[in-house]
Amino acid sequence: MSFKWKRLGENSLFLAPSIILTTALGIYPLFWMLRYMFYEYAGYGQPLFVGLDNFHRLMRDALFWESVGNTFIYAGGKLLLTLPLSLLLAVILNGKLRGGNLLRGIYFMPTIISTAVISVVFYTIFNSYNGMVNTVLMKLHLVSQPIDWLGPKHAMLTVILVAVWGAVGNYMLLFLAGLQSIPQDLYESAAIDGANAGRRFWNITLPMLAPVAQLVIMLAIIASLKGYESIMLITEGGPIGKTEVMYLYLYKLLFPVSTGSPVEQQLGYGSAVGFATAVIVGAITGLYFLLSRKMNKMY
Amino acid sequence: MRKKWLGLGLSLVLAVGIAGCGGNDNNNANGGSTNGKSEGSTETPTAETGQPVQLKYWTDDRHDQEYIKELINKFNETNEDNIQVELTVMSENYTQSVDIAFSSNQAPDVLRLKSANTSGFVKKGYLAPIDEYLTDDMNTKFGSLLIDEVNRFDGKVYTLANTGLTLRLVYNKDLFAKAGIENPPVSLQEMVDDAKKITEVGKAEGIYGFALNFKNPKQAFDRSIREILSLSGHQGLGFDLKTGQFDFEPYAQVIEYFKQMYADGSILPGAEALDIDPLRAQFAAGKIGMYLSFSTEPGVYMDQFPTEINWGGALAPTLDGQIKGTSEIVSAGTWLGISAQSANKEAAWKFIQYMYGDEILKTYHEKGFGIAIVPSIVEQAKEPEIGGMEGFLVGEHDSLWPVSPNITPEGSNYADAFFKYILEGGDTKAITEDLNTRYNAALSTAVEKGEATATPNPAFDPTKPQGE
Repeated sequence: MSFKWKRLGENSLFLAPSIILTTALGIYPLFWMLRYMFYEYAGYGQPLFVGLDNFHRLMRDALFWESVGNTFIYAGGKLLLTLPLSLLLAVILNGKLRGGNLLRGIYFMPTIISTAVISVVFYTIFNSYNGMVNTVLMKLHLVSQPIDWLGPKHAMLTVILVAVWGAVGNYMLLFLAGLQSIPQDLYESAAIDGANAGRRFWNITLPMLAPVAQLVIMLAIIASLKGYESIMLITEGGPIGKTEVMYLYLYKLLFPVSTGSPVEQQLGYGSAVGFATAVIVGAITGLYFLLSRKMNKMY
Repeated sequence: MRKKWLGLGLSLVLAVGIAGCGGNDNNNANGGSTNGKSEGSTETPTAETGQPVQLKYWTDDRHDQEYIKELINKFNETNEDNIQVELTVMSENYTQSVDIAFSSNQAPDVLRLKSANTSGFVKKGYLAPIDEYLTDDMNTKFGSLLIDEVNRFDGKVYTLANTGLTLRLVYNKDLFAKAGIENPPVSLQEMVDDAKKITEVGKAEGIYGFALNFKNPKQAFDRSIREILSLSGHQGLGFDLKTGQFDFEPYAQVIEYFKQMYADGSILPGAEALDIDPLRAQFAAGKIGMYLSFSTEPGVYMDQFPTEINWGGALAPTLDGQIKGTSEIVSAGTWLGISAQSANKEAAWKFIQYMYGDEILKTYHEKGFGIAIVPSIVEQAKEPEIGGMEGFLVGEHDSLWPVSPNITPEGSNYADAFFKYILEGGDTKAITEDLNTRYNAALSTAVEKGEATATPNPAFDPTKPQGE
């Protein structure tokens, strides 16, 4: 047997698990979705080919576009708070801080706690009737009436805060890895030249961190556009759709959460919405990559 | 050489894997029909061979599992046909588990059916009709409870009734007394006034007059407005049985009172994000004056949230205080069904017949697992042993209603649309018209496709919804 064939056999063996899994769990569902977005299908019976009807419906579906708007508010709010905060924590913990390792562990902990647990805990913290936040605020006489943290006015803010709490530790760790790869001699020579801490951060840390930051920000953008689990558990997209983000809207079409009289799955329309959300997330990520090209070549 | 074969073998595995994936949706699309092979052809009278007939019985009921286990053990020991039943109690995702079982030909022989999943199971071809097994006695016993689109589809019966859920106003008697109110409200105006009074008296202690689990408005309204409307003489989910069309005008009338309670500040703050269990916990803690819910509540306050408060269930209030209809009994009309895939349908029927025996149905009611709705059982059975259940028992004002068509309109559902109106205001007439338009459009599409029926019944009498 020739060497070439032997290598082919070995290579196939190594590649097989990932090819099988990617095909079954990634490529096949993708093609499934690409097919069914042109169909009307409730999960049983014969799927009905409807051409572009699902996309026409998508264009006039006010609830979907509201959810897109909500997604931008949610993702924007989450990114604006998470990124600076995680960078700040990373810089602080990168210094020689007593108990730094312990703090790292504590900050990272939310990443490994189940979303369901986080959501239940935050519900008990924020609910209006006996939540801790209101109890403390009222004890301190900062407010006279309980604030409806999960009501229509504040629910978005609350779910953003929960998301930030859950994400900061994760991005902090990534930034920290980036910071630790910056050569110390740069700081030492800058110190000899008389640069103060602020200047060192601005002229050394930030530029040297740029390639890592580019990647971290991209991951953060994708994660915040796709995040919906904690929202589903805390508010289920409510009240009156104020926290309905697009992936939650999509989830509800594919796996209806309402009980009572049965609500049908809408696999065809859901596929169309899934396609549209993927295009939106892809476009934003692509745009970000285009705009952030320079970050890769900052030094 | 061996490695060459290994490489080729792997390629084959890949190819089969991909092809296998591709074939899957055909199975799904055809539902149970692909499983026809097991039907009939393998129906073997295994009793003759001495091997016991093994039956699998799946349920998602947990509250009655000890009793059901007891019944099954007794059946396994005493039946003369050598049938052994094995019970599986599912926790979550029952419907999905059943879907998977049927698509992989591992379906149970006997299934617990609920009104929320029966029509789906029938459409997917999971169930076998039971008409051929029904004896004259059973026809007499259950005949008045055979309802189209509940347990009878296209003229074929798939399951029989056992229990149903009634819906009531659940109220805290202590708080009513504290606010100087003698009786639970009979009209919506009284409900609004009572909620306000209770809030005025109790607000300083965090006590409010009214609450519902508005985190999911449809769940909240389908356990409250549904009952208010049916007792007031209107179908409770917005369908007009006389015209065979959706008309949310009566619904909008009820909504005005809910909006008033919200404006008065009589609703527990944070109810917008409230699930049913946190609501029950607050009620058990004496923080809520009243809410509306199913006859499952007595069991909840006995086991899940034991409470010291003095509470009771009363008929829902009506639009004007007059009872012009009947309180709808829900989740009724279904209990056990036979799988279309079962190789032992005869044996499955024998087990089902045993379960539907008078003594078992009677005890099921008396132990408080559900409220009996089979007339001959209602006559014989004693009151359930659970405190608070007396307010929920089937009485002269309760009955089953014809089914309203199950359709999914484009855009928001009626509950979300009306809840938005409660919180933010708007033009109720425009909202109602928009709902009517969207729901009726979806209805006519569903009727065209044969997925729903909507026959007008101009003679429909809400005081006798089943026409007797």
